[in-house]
Amino acid sequence: MPDIASVRPIIGLEIHVELATRRKLFADAPNPAHDEFDNADPNTLTDAVVLALPGALPVINRSAIEHSMRVGMALGCQIASVSRWDRKNYFYPDLPKGYQISQYADPVCGPGITNWPINADGSNHTVRIERAHLEEDAGKLLHELPGGGKIDFSIVDLNRAGTPLLEIVTAPDFQSAEQVVNFARFLRNVCRHLRVSHCTMQKGHIRFEPNINCELTLADGSTVRTPITEVKNLNSFRAVQGAIEYELREQPKRWAETGIAFAPGTKTTRGWNDNSMQTTLQREKEEANDYRYFPDPDLLAIEIDAEWQERVRATVKELPHVRTGRWASSYKLDDRECETLIDDPDTADLFDTAINIVGNNHAKTVANLLLQTGMKLAKERGTTAAALGVSAEHIAAIAQMRDAGDIGSGAIEPLFLASIESERGEEPRAAAERQGLIQVRDEGALRAWCRSAIDDPANAPSVADLRAGKQQAIGRLIGAIMKSSAGKADAKAAREMILEMLAE
Amino acid sequence: MKTDGSMTMAQAAGAVASGRTDAEGLVAEALDRTRAIGSYLNCVLQLLDEDALARARAVDQKRNAGEPIGPLGGVPIILKDNIVLDRGRTTCASKMLERYESPFSATVAKKLEAAGAIVIAKANLDEFAMGSSGENSAFGPARNPWDPTRVPGGSSSGSAVSVAARIVPGALGSDTGGSIRQPASHCGVVGLKPTYGRVSRYGLVAFASSLDQIGPITRTVEDAAIMLDAISGHDPHDSTSLNLSPTSCAQTVSRPIEGLRVAVPAGVIDEIAHNGVRTVYQDAINACRSAGAEIVEVALPVFKSGIAAYYLICAAEASSNLARFDGVRYGSRASVAPSQGLEAMYKESRSSGFGPEVQRRIMLGTHVLSSGYYDAYYLTAARARRLIKEAFDAVFRSHGCHVLLTPAAPEPAFRIGEKSDDPLTMYLEDLFTVPANLAGVPAITVPAGVVIEGGVALPVGVQFHAAALQEDTLLRAARMFEREVGFDAQPPAGL
Repeated sequence: MPDIASVRPIIGLEIHVELATRRKLFADAPNPAHDEFDNADPNTLTDAVVLALPGALPVINRSAIEHSMRVGMALGCQIASVSRWDRKNYFYPDLPKGYQISQYADPVCGPGITNWPINADGSNHTVRIERAHLEEDAGKLLHELPGGGKIDFSIVDLNRAGTPLLEIVTAPDFQSAEQVVNFARFLRNVCRHLRVSHCTMQKGHIRFEPNINCELTLADGSTVRTPITEVKNLNSFRAVQGAIEYELREQPKRWAETGIAFAPGTKTTRGWNDNSMQTTLQREKEEANDYRYFPDPDLLAIEIDAEWQERVRATVKELPHVRTGRWASSYKLDDRECETLIDDPDTADLFDTAINIVGNNHAKTVANLLLQTGMKLAKERGTTAAALGVSAEHIAAIAQMRDAGDIGSGAIEPLFLASIESERGEEPRAAAERQGLIQVRDEGALRAWCRSAIDDPANAPSVADLRAGKQQAIGRLIGAIMKSSAGKADAKAAREMILEMLAE
Repeated sequence: MKTDGSMTMAQAAGAVASGRTDAEGLVAEALDRTRAIGSYLNCVLQLLDEDALARARAVDQKRNAGEPIGPLGGVPIILKDNIVLDRGRTTCASKMLERYESPFSATVAKKLEAAGAIVIAKANLDEFAMGSSGENSAFGPARNPWDPTRVPGGSSSGSAVSVAARIVPGALGSDTGGSIRQPASHCGVVGLKPTYGRVSRYGLVAFASSLDQIGPITRTVEDAAIMLDAISGHDPHDSTSLNLSPTSCAQTVSRPIEGLRVAVPAGVIDEIAHNGVRTVYQDAINACRSAGAEIVEVALPVFKSGIAAYYLICAAEASSNLARFDGVRYGSRASVAPSQGLEAMYKESRSSGFGPEVQRRIMLGTHVLSSGYYDAYYLTAARARRLIKEAFDAVFRSHGCHVLLTPAAPEPAFRIGEKSDDPLTMYLEDLFTVPANLAGVPAITVPAGVVIEGGVALPVGVQFHAAALQEDTLLRAARMFEREVGFDAQPPAGL
């Protein structure tokens, strides 16, 4: 076989997003993808419809349609004016009705196009969306007891059965693993910010299935395509990246060994092993699964008129990557800062709201408050910065005091805590005054603290170093001043005064 | 006041409300009749005796306390056993659900109970409502009270028998392709299939969801109106239930229609193979004329294509609807060694749980939907269905007819076992009834006469159709016909 001169990756992506509606897609039973019902005991989130009892009938949950419309709008999709339900028939113990209600011919979201900055250099890349359709998730089959006890049979947990699942399918428009991972991150953030899913990766709220093959250009100039591999159920970005990179390495080798090129029926399904960092074969060829799709006679078509569309469209605000772009250019936040703040939609909202109150010129300080003190406290409490309970007004007030030099950096955490812990949240200025955290900028007091620091024999070596031009020696003197002033001295003013006094 | 079961629903409700009889007595007598006659006719699968008596006593107490007892207060009724009730068993006459107990009641059951009616029993049927004779019950066929060697028709066999044998004045059936109207014809009672979506299907074990509709089986048209009023109306649990208030047909049913126009399909007479049935139908047309109606001959070539389309669509939907009976969560599960695997458990459970006709339809439906055949079968049937609907629209719109008169069944009740080995002949029993289901329009069977077969009188009904949602017109016309014909034959006494 001729040598391979070059490899062009061709990658498409399917994304499954569990929507965080309160109720299931076709049942009144609570939805485990909603945080209120997370961690429910097995088989407690069920009812006659979920269990497919004789005589039970599905009724559509319209908020799942709205969530889907939001995602579709963010992806530039056409929203269907009429959307229909089909049955996908197959037997499995986690599928109570013996069919899954899905959308075959008329999905909620039709073709769309995204042009997001997913290239390594931050430039845009166009990815076409083929469709996004709604369907019900299946339950789970467990092969050991909850907690890990061994059993020689399988048990079924139907809590997840009927959870609304939005399946987004892209065209094979990706050319690298990095583009796919960036797109996946963007999409996760979009879903979080649209408040349609918590997108907690470990809980499988969002799952990725890349379709991968390559076009090989051979030494003689001819081209050949490798068979498509679909890698199922990836729920980390690392796995997405690893699986794609592995397949892109292996597929040219497989072709060279077997000579099998892309043709109908050559598609294989593989799984990802996080430990070996390899994909493993699950299904040779496309199994001849005949799902016998047909229109579900229990459900009416969903009609989406212009008025409904507009009402939903009004809830689709600035997309997260547009927002971080604005933060980067207007507030000079770096990539890491943007990423941290955008990760949680409530924290991102808190950030923007606080800036709206205090003004753009304090933006960097607001960011620092949230990124440092906010994130530290959030981590300690296992929550998010927004969920700490410090209001945007209080954050704005702290930023303003900080930028005015009224408080030092050491005062921030106590003011956060005062806002969180005191009943109804203590107003930061009142808290600062009560706790004596207002910096003293009285020149006389400052001069006295500086003089005693310089004159303290213990500090003599530092004074000497400083006189000799070693700037870093000033730290010890400022430390002494903060100590003797109990933190009330303005560190910046103290530095200037020491330099001034030593220059005299 | 001792009754012989001859009271209509309207009379029974009136007797209880006025205190001339007690609900407890009415229910106790109905239970006695069920034990005496019902066991022989095999029309009932389960008696709810203690529960029914307790509910009857509660009605009496309410009435004695001067509280309202509802329009059907104390009236005993029977439900086809594919309608779930939150007590007792719901078997669908299948071994699959032999011991199944539903945790909830069907919307129609709740509505009838809210109106004061008392469910005394669950009626026999063809398994999962699939059949036209009542013979496909896992618990044996119900017998026709006019001739116990004959079938009562199906699939609402037990419901029709219970009403014809005067066990109860009213019962609920379900009608997918004639399952209310055909047994009503064979048993000499009234059977109404409402407009699709008029009555909630929530709690009806689905056979073919796009065709199934629950409806009353009664002895009079007025009672059919009373029962429809009680069970109709929008149900948020059924997406296909129409967003309409309950009907109020009982108020208007006795008002004749001035200038009634009755459509008769051209050539339909020639499609009736049985001489006696043809005569009854011809007489029915004449009776309409003597009642003052104008007869309008219309082109309605829907019967042969209807039966073909029907058996494709209903089988396709059934194959999917019955997939839930997999032995995993409820219903019968075959004991299969774990080493044989999941598929063996499915196969064994479904092969032993379902009877032959149900298996036949599941296989047929699976084939109809399978890749490569879907377009030729399912889509073609769906197109035929659309054309049938348009043909009905034309009768009621273009020709301005109030109702359409057709036979109800091609022949009278046949002997038990006569057609068991010939499913295709059996399917033709539904020739005249399936178009109404495909078109979604309401239709009613009314007793029209008798034929003598082997020295025995057998009742024959005819069928009226109306445009969608025109139950009011349909029932008024049927009442006019009922009055004109004055059918008063009864099954032989002393059963």
